Amino acid sequence: MVGFGVRSASVLASALAVLLLGPSLSCVSDGANSSELAPVRISGLLEGRGPDARDAARRASLLLVDEGLDSDSRGLPRAALARYERAIQVDATNPYAYLAIARHHVDAHDPTLALQFLDHAESLMRMRGDLRDAVQVHLFGLRGAALYDSGRRPEAAELLDRARALSPRIWGDGSLHPDELR
Amino acid sequence: MGTRATKGPAGPKRKTSARKKAARKRGRGDKSKASLGATVVWIGVRVLAVLAFIAGLTTATGIISMDRTVVARFDGQRFVVPSKVYSAPGILYPGLDAKLIDLRGTLARSGYREQKVTAGRPLRPGLYRWSKNRLRVYLRAFSHPTRPEPARDIVIRFEGDLIAEMRELPRSREVGAVLLEPELVGAYFGSAREQRELVKLEDVPRHLIDAVLAIEDRRFFSHHGVDLTRIGGAVLANLRAGGVRQGGSTLTQQLVKNFFLTPERTLRRKLNEAAMALIVEARYSKRQILQSYLNEIYLGRRGATSIRGVGEATSYYFGKTVGGLVPAESALLAAIIQSPNRLSPHRNPKAVRKRRDLVLELMRKQGKLELDEFNLARATPLDVAAPITESGDARYFLDLLRRQLPEAYDRKLLQSEGMHIYSTLNSRFQRAAVRALVDGLESIERRKPELVSDDPSKRLQGCLIAMRPQTGEILALVGGRSYGQSQFDRCTQARRPAGSVFKPFIYLAALENRDGPPVATLASFLDDTPIEIETRGGIWQPQNYDHKFRGRVSLRSALERSLNVPSVRLALRVGIDRVAEMATRMGVTSSLPLVPSLALGTAEVSPMEIARAYATLASGGVRPTPHTYEDLTSGNQTLEQRRLELRQVIDPGLAHLGVSLLEGVVNHGTARRLRAMGLRGPIAGKTGTTDDERDLWFVGFTPELVAVVWLGFDEPRSIGISSSRGPLQIWASFIEEAMGSEMRGLFVPPRTVERLEIDPESGALAVSGCPRRASELFLSGTAPSEICDGRWGGSVAGRERDGHDARRSGRFNNKNGKNDKEDKVGGIFGWLRELL
Repeated sequence: MVGFGVRSASVLASALAVLLLGPSLSCVSDGANSSELAPVRISGLLEGRGPDARDAARRASLLLVDEGLDSDSRGLPRAALARYERAIQVDATNPYAYLAIARHHVDAHDPTLALQFLDHAESLMRMRGDLRDAVQVHLFGLRGAALYDSGRRPEAAELLDRARALSPRIWGDGSLHPDELR
Repeated sequence: MGTRATKGPAGPKRKTSARKKAARKRGRGDKSKASLGATVVWIGVRVLAVLAFIAGLTTATGIISMDRTVVARFDGQRFVVPSKVYSAPGILYPGLDAKLIDLRGTLARSGYREQKVTAGRPLRPGLYRWSKNRLRVYLRAFSHPTRPEPARDIVIRFEGDLIAEMRELPRSREVGAVLLEPELVGAYFGSAREQRELVKLEDVPRHLIDAVLAIEDRRFFSHHGVDLTRIGGAVLANLRAGGVRQGGSTLTQQLVKNFFLTPERTLRRKLNEAAMALIVEARYSKRQILQSYLNEIYLGRRGATSIRGVGEATSYYFGKTVGGLVPAESALLAAIIQSPNRLSPHRNPKAVRKRRDLVLELMRKQGKLELDEFNLARATPLDVAAPITESGDARYFLDLLRRQLPEAYDRKLLQSEGMHIYSTLNSRFQRAAVRALVDGLESIERRKPELVSDDPSKRLQGCLIAMRPQTGEILALVGGRSYGQSQFDRCTQARRPAGSVFKPFIYLAALENRDGPPVATLASFLDDTPIEIETRGGIWQPQNYDHKFRGRVSLRSALERSLNVPSVRLALRVGIDRVAEMATRMGVTSSLPLVPSLALGTAEVSPMEIARAYATLASGGVRPTPHTYEDLTSGNQTLEQRRLELRQVIDPGLAHLGVSLLEGVVNHGTARRLRAMGLRGPIAGKTGTTDDERDLWFVGFTPELVAVVWLGFDEPRSIGISSSRGPLQIWASFIEEAMGSEMRGLFVPPRTVERLEIDPESGALAVSGCPRRASELFLSGTAPSEICDGRWGGSVAGRERDGHDARRSGRFNNKNGKNDKEDKVGGIFGWLRELL
């Protein structure tokens, strides 16, 4: 009984230790990313329980954006653009469709168009009260990249720094790969 | 060269001599006769030689000429292929109302064929099965140079009319959205209305070639253009039948006849046909001839259009490309060739099935089909897609599309190069638009028979245009009531006075705080009292529609009731130039005269400009570029691609105030009949009527669609009804058929707009203790600073005079007060002088 009691106490203590130390250990393993916010992803919006996942048209539109990002990722820019435009056909107020098009134009080094679409995405997000850091990080980063291309380097550097500070993992390289938005 | 008479003395000697002479003469006569015969022969030979030479020359000339004709056709552009225009693809997703989008009709129009659940055959691309609450459709692959779609086997489950779920087989993976192929909208035809989809011989299945040869020309690969055995057989068969029952033409002769000759049945034509067939065979390979034949052969009609070639026929009859044909379908196409109209699978299925089976039997006899293939093909029902006729509905749209394409794509090129143009048209919306406009105009004429005219140029006309506000895609366009009678597109080519649909530009200019505080807020009040304005043409005294003055009216009420006098007063306060600038910024491109009457919409604009300007409001201040196509392809190349561009031209907050004002027009104002008609959800709009009711407008929009309806005569004259009757009714019919009675979405206010409680009587902020309250929208920083307890006093007129200062201070004079003073202002400058 005594042995069992000691063993039980030891197991309990170990369990407690794991419970208490686990999170901190995981923080340690994450290192610098422990405080990094999780930027918005299309998959997250689709899997979440927010209004984006509940509204049928918005959901379909997000799925089309996701397919577009997949095409962009596979090096099929025209197919991607067609998918984003279908996403707008289904739901013209889906800000992520415009965000994805802006990303696409940043990749294509067309800063004028990129900025137009970013403005529109931002405006739609602002209307919905959805302009949180997880979204802002991409707006800062993409705007910075577009401004860099258009020669407005100081403004670009400032915005890219802000994006980098919010999410060094995604924006550390100063660009947003399609898969990082999926 | 004739015989000469001899003359000499008379007597016995003379007799002997005469006898001798006679004998000589006879001898000479015999000789002469012989000589004559030889001469005749010689002459005959020469004549014949000349004739032969002439005939040879003529024949040679003829052959050379024929050869030239053949070469010109074969080596040049063999086929004129009209460019086809397709609609935007339909998109299916869970939550969509399948009845509203007419899913069944869409599938039928796209050439999909229903297969009974009990058929027991595997579902192939282009087929679908309906069961109780389930649709299984095998979507065909969509070929496009840059955005192809694979074939997909999709199961759609319905709850009521709504799509509840979609899964893709075979793995039953849930899918969120699938694209339907674009529908054919129309084509750019030349003088011949022929549709053709060119095929290459290597893409044509062997069984189609076998089927065609089996019934039309089994010795095609062994003869030299003319098949004497076949001709002999045909002659015998026709003699036995006592009439022409069988033809002896080879494929080459049929091709020659179609390419170069008339269908008359004369010996001369037949000889020409044979000669040309020999030339074609001498010059070109059997494969070249066969490919030309398969692309040229007439195979039926789609409405007023001929179907030419197996590519087009496969698409029309089976809704697929030629590579997807099965032997039974190939045999059916071959069966039709003999007489496409008599053997139409839609009109005469029994007869064509009999002939199809004959083709299959011949194929079997000639060793082209195995027994099991033969049995399967014979057991296959005809199973052709429902006939699709051209509605002609989209011809105004097609004209606009052609004008929007770069100049290089001229009429001739579009009529011959077989390009594919993917348009923005929503074919369901287009049908709804045509129906609503035509029915609406007829309904007006029934109510007012005096408007009816037998002269097409004097008929009441109208136009309807629908656009996606965020992108500028033109979803439907009807430029008049009958394209056949008038090709003038009143949506884009007509310029008509805008009337009251121009007024929102005044209000937006007044509400804008771009260069300082706004001239007005939604809580402001305006004077509805008589006003005289000095103009170049004399004193102008604007009147309201009902010739009444209401004294002091709220800004909202002035627009909701479309009052002219307060609108003119507001325009003068803002400045006509600023009003014009606002209209231009939002999308009006016509020249706008800077005169006070601009406020009442005297400027002439096109319905397309109005659609664009209102779309700017609906899209939160982003001005779209109206466009009709997405891209243009030829073979595997994309030749043109339209780029979506966005341009924020007014602040989203200001756009939202404009939307809110126009929602008021629908909820309480001149367009409130829309609500009585049962339309629910977010709708904003504005009626417009010009002097003597010559032009009637209604512009309405939802978060997803803006639509403009204009009615009037080409030679302006009074219609005698109000805009809230005619165009509004047409708009409602269109929108209900296109979108249902419940509008989707929301006009979401941006963060820069705040909603505050005000005292509706004074326009001041309402605080606790204020007896009356109503909520109102303001751009951030423009809310009134006074509160309802009456901190502000003075008359409206006095406040108007303070307007300039008020703009600078950002404070507004909203308190009640009545101005019954009749203003007399010397034009804009006089008014400005008075202000200062």
